[in-house]
Order: sequence, then C-alpha cells, then structure tokens
Amino acid sequence: MNTQEKHASCASTGSVTASPVLDIRGLRLRLPRTARPVLDGVDLTVAAGETVALVGESGSGKTLTSRSVLRLLPPGAGTEGAVRVAGEDVLTMSAARLRALRTGTAAMIFQDPRAAINPLRRIGDFLTESLRLNTGTSAEEAERRAGELLVAVGLAPAVMRQYPGQLSGGMLQRVMIAAALMGDPALLLADEATTALDVTTQAEVVALLGDLRDRFGTGLLFVTHDLGLAATISDRVYVMYAGRIVEAGPADALFARPRHPYTAALLAATPRLDAPQGRLNAIDGQPPDLKAELTGCPFAPRCVHATGICTEQAPEDRAVTAAPDGREHRVACHHSDRVTGSADHG
Amino acid sequence: MAETVLHVNGVHRRYGSVQAVDDVSFSLARGGSLGIVGESGSGKTTTARIVVGLESADSGQIRVRGTGRTGRVRGRVARLARAREVQMVFQDPFLSLDPRVGVEAALRETLRLHFPGADHARRIAELLDQVGLGTRTRDALPRQLSGGQRQRVAIARALAVEPAILVLDEAVAALDVSVQAQILNLLADIRAQTGVGYLFITHDLGVVRCVTDDVIVMRQGRIVEAGSTEQVLSAPQHPYTRLLLESVPRPGWDPHAIAAARRALHHTASPSDSTNGQSTVHN
Repeated sequence: MNTQEKHASCASTGSVTASPVLDIRGLRLRLPRTARPVLDGVDLTVAAGETVALVGESGSGKTLTSRSVLRLLPPGAGTEGAVRVAGEDVLTMSAARLRALRTGTAAMIFQDPRAAINPLRRIGDFLTESLRLNTGTSAEEAERRAGELLVAVGLAPAVMRQYPGQLSGGMLQRVMIAAALMGDPALLLADEATTALDVTTQAEVVALLGDLRDRFGTGLLFVTHDLGLAATISDRVYVMYAGRIVEAGPADALFARPRHPYTAALLAATPRLDAPQGRLNAIDGQPPDLKAELTGCPFAPRCVHATGICTEQAPEDRAVTAAPDGREHRVACHHSDRVTGSADHG
Repeated sequence: MAETVLHVNGVHRRYGSVQAVDDVSFSLARGGSLGIVGESGSGKTTTARIVVGLESADSGQIRVRGTGRTGRVRGRVARLARAREVQMVFQDPFLSLDPRVGVEAALRETLRLHFPGADHARRIAELLDQVGLGTRTRDALPRQLSGGQRQRVAIARALAVEPAILVLDEAVAALDVSVQAQILNLLADIRAQTGVGYLFITHDLGVVRCVTDDVIVMRQGRIVEAGSTEQVLSAPQHPYTRLLLESVPRPGWDPHAIAAARRALHHTASPSDSTNGQSTVHN
C-alpha cells in the first residue's frame, strides 16, 4: 500500500510548477540511407499529472519520438539534442540507469497487447517478472502488487492464473496497463494504445488511464493518429509532420482554431458525425520522401496557402495568441494568419 | 423504386458454440450503398464473407439480381460468373496483392481470366484512370506503392470484372486520414459513374455517414437496428446504437458514462441474446 500512498501524495502536492517528467529539447534523429533527419528538432514536454497527445500520420515520426524516450532506437540511429525523463538525459545515460528507467520511471503501452505478452506464460508471471528480476522484490510482494493493480484496472486478481489466450483484446490491454504500472512510472507512454480496440472498449480504457493519472499523478503521453480522441482526452496537443512539430497548444484552442494549414487540413479530412455530409476535403499529394532533402516548409507542396518563401525557408516555430490560462499555442508556419479553417468544411 | 441487386434473407452461421450470424436479412438497391456497423464479434465480417462466397451459410438465402448464390456451383464458367457478381476489397491491400506482380500485370491477369481473348490495354488504362493512378505507377510493384495507392489498385482490380456489388471490408480503416479522405471521395465518384452497389463493413460511424445511404447495426450476430443512415445516426432507437454513437470521442465526451452504459447493456442483454440465439439455430 505504501507505494500507492507515495504516489497519491505526489499528485496532490506536485504538478503545478514542478519540472516536467518528460522534457525533449531539439531532438534530431538521423537514420542510415536517408537524406534528411527523421526527427528534426522536436521539442516536447509532459508535466506530472498531465495528458499530452502527439498526433500525426504514418511516417511523421510520432512513434520514433515516443520510443526515443525509452531509447528504443532503430539500428544505426544518430541523435542530437536531449530527452530528459525526470531530469535525466536518456540519450546519454549508462546502461544500468537505462535499465532502471525502463523498469521504473517510464513505461510504454503498445498498440497490440498480443504481440507484447508471451502466450505461453500465465498473466501473473508476465506481470511480476520485471519487478522480481530487476528490483529484487520478493515474489510474494510482486504478486500482491500485481493483484492490486489488476483490481485498479478493473480485472479480478484471479486473472493472474489465466493465459493470454483466455482473455479478450480489451482485457489484455488492461493487463498491459497494469504491467506498465508495476514499476511505479512517473511517465506513461501510450502508443496507439486504444487503436486496435472497439470504440466502447476504447472509452473504458481511456477512462481507466484518466483515473490512474489522477490517482498516481502519472504524466501521460498519448501517441495517436486519431484527432477526435486527442482533442477529447488531452490537456495539450502536439501535431507532427515530416519529423517536425508543426503546431502545439492547448487541445481546445488548437482544435477550435488550428493555426497550421496541416492541422486545419487534417481536421477537414476527417469523416465526422457532426460535420456537414458530402465530399471530404482530402489533402492532395503525399508526405515528403525521406530520401529527398528538404528545404523550406515540409508541408508546402500540399499547402493551399504556400508562397515562394515556404519552399525556400523553413518557418520558425513561434508563439501565437496565448491561451487565457497562459498555456502557449505555438505554430511553425509563415502564413498562420491566413489559416481561417477550423473543423468546418470549406 | 430502384431494382434490388442483393437480397439476403434469414442467413445463419454457427461456429461451434458461437452463433456468429443469427437470422440476418437485408437488401441492397442497384447503385445503393449499405453500411454494416458493429464491433469485433458482431458478425459483420462473417456476413460479408457469406455474401461474397468465402464462407457458406448454415441456412438462409442470398440472391444477386434474382439468382440464388447459396448452393455449390459446378464448373469453371459458372464459378467465374458467380465471382463477377460480387467483388471484395479487404482492409490490408498489401496482403491481397501479389508482391511480385506489377500494377498493370495484376489487372491484366484478372481481365484475362474473366474475359479471355479480348485486348485489355484500353480497359487497363480506363481502370487506372478511374481509380486515379497515373501511368507512372503502371509497372510498380506493391512495395513501391503507398498504402493509398495499393488500395486504389485493389479497387481497380475489383472493378475490372464490372461487378454488381463491391463488398468493402474495413477498406479504409488502415489508411491515414488524409489518404482515407481521398479513397472515400474516389469510392463516391465510382458509385456515381458505374452504378455499382456497395456493402460497406466498418466500425467507424463517421465513415458510415460519409459513404452509405442505409445502415444496419449488428451485435452478437444479429441486426439490432436498420434504417437510413441519416435517421439511424441522428435518432438511434436501440440502446446499443446509442452506446456506439456516444463512444465516438468528441467534445463533451464522458468515458466513464460510456463504460457504465456498456456494462449495463452487457449484463442485461447477454443472457437473453444467447438463449434466443440457440432457439433460432434449427430454423
């Protein structure tokens, strides 16, 4: 019980002006045989008890960004910049510290629980393994903790004796969340964690993550392609395109009035229940190839507002109207004043 | 009143102890678009596969343009004729295209099989144009194409035999939003041009609203609600349809309320559903 109490007290006192649990500064990541960095100067923070969404399409670099937090980098990757978790730079830390980080401070929930859980081992073994092997916690203590967390995610402790094949996808994703919480993480990374779930199950998992965040004061980075979900669950949103953060700000401000043409175009292209029926505003073209060098704004070739400057000079990231509560809304676009589009078509 | 191209009547299918499809009936008008929505295990994909002929029904009838489709067919000619009536587009085009066969060759193979002896060059150009694939992609292999382009190839190949019905099983679910919008617009254009009917299997209610005229909602193998898409989405009658609609994330979304509603529905509906399911097996 003492571990949970420790967290509860963190949540009640911290989170206001405390240093962020995750602080990514100028992260640049290069891969072999590519002409431009796959991540190109990413800045991102997550505070304790905060939910942050990182939104982007395939190849935008959102998954690489979240994986870099655990230094799960592809072979041959070269990095610049800093990725600090609870103040410590992940990119330069020793192997021993990294192991402690992965088993304790930060944890990741992946999209497909069936790919992450050994089908031949019981759920109880899966949950307690890391704690027993890495922290020297006794089997008894680890099992007690696993039982507690299974209850916290809405499952019966008896699930520990079951095999993964006996559980549904939604139940297994709960097991994954419980496993991620075993090491008392200060930061939880959810990479498309609800994408494979049915919508009603997704709602349940999201409710659960919100409860756990409130209870333990965990910072949550939610990586998703789903704009609607990002808008609904997060405090702040980062929009990524071609390895760069193109827009960042409070979720409500960003979705009510997007300031980057890509964000506006994505919103307009999403089939929604509350938008007028009829043709969708598709975004023509493709994201830029990794094999070609990039000058100027990566979105320029697909952008309706693009002018000469856009293809010549990369736009600097700058603050636009600050939200009333002081949270910044930032955008990297030469013509953000021209972006009038919101979620509405046209 | 438009002519009916597809008639599905009282179809059942059971796997072991699970009644996967339980007394499902619906029809599709010529050039119409019908959505089937539901969650995993609702029976929507099994229903689609039965319509296509990839699975067989335990009982019930399926008629395309008035001709029955449930019995076995004998002979190559009859089999091909049946295949031409209904074509299917799957979720992952990478798995439904041969990795060693180029775009043009894939279309030619299909055309040769169904229309031997004819010259296909013009038809291939027409199909590529119809799905918005440029001439540059003609010789490309699937791995050289983007996800959206691959799905365009799969659609072109399905259209090649001029089917009466195209069954699209989560055909845009794996695509990025910007590409998904391109494909949804393309599908709307193709339907207007060719008069092909769509059976659109999806879990995404936004997509359903965008591409279908009518919709059926399935749960645990049965149809719980059916009607015009506009009407079902704006004034859902069944609690399950309401739950599905409320589960779509949007401003004011309350995941706790949804989770509670889900559990309530699960507890009240499941036992009676399963007994009903068993009583209809022997029909």
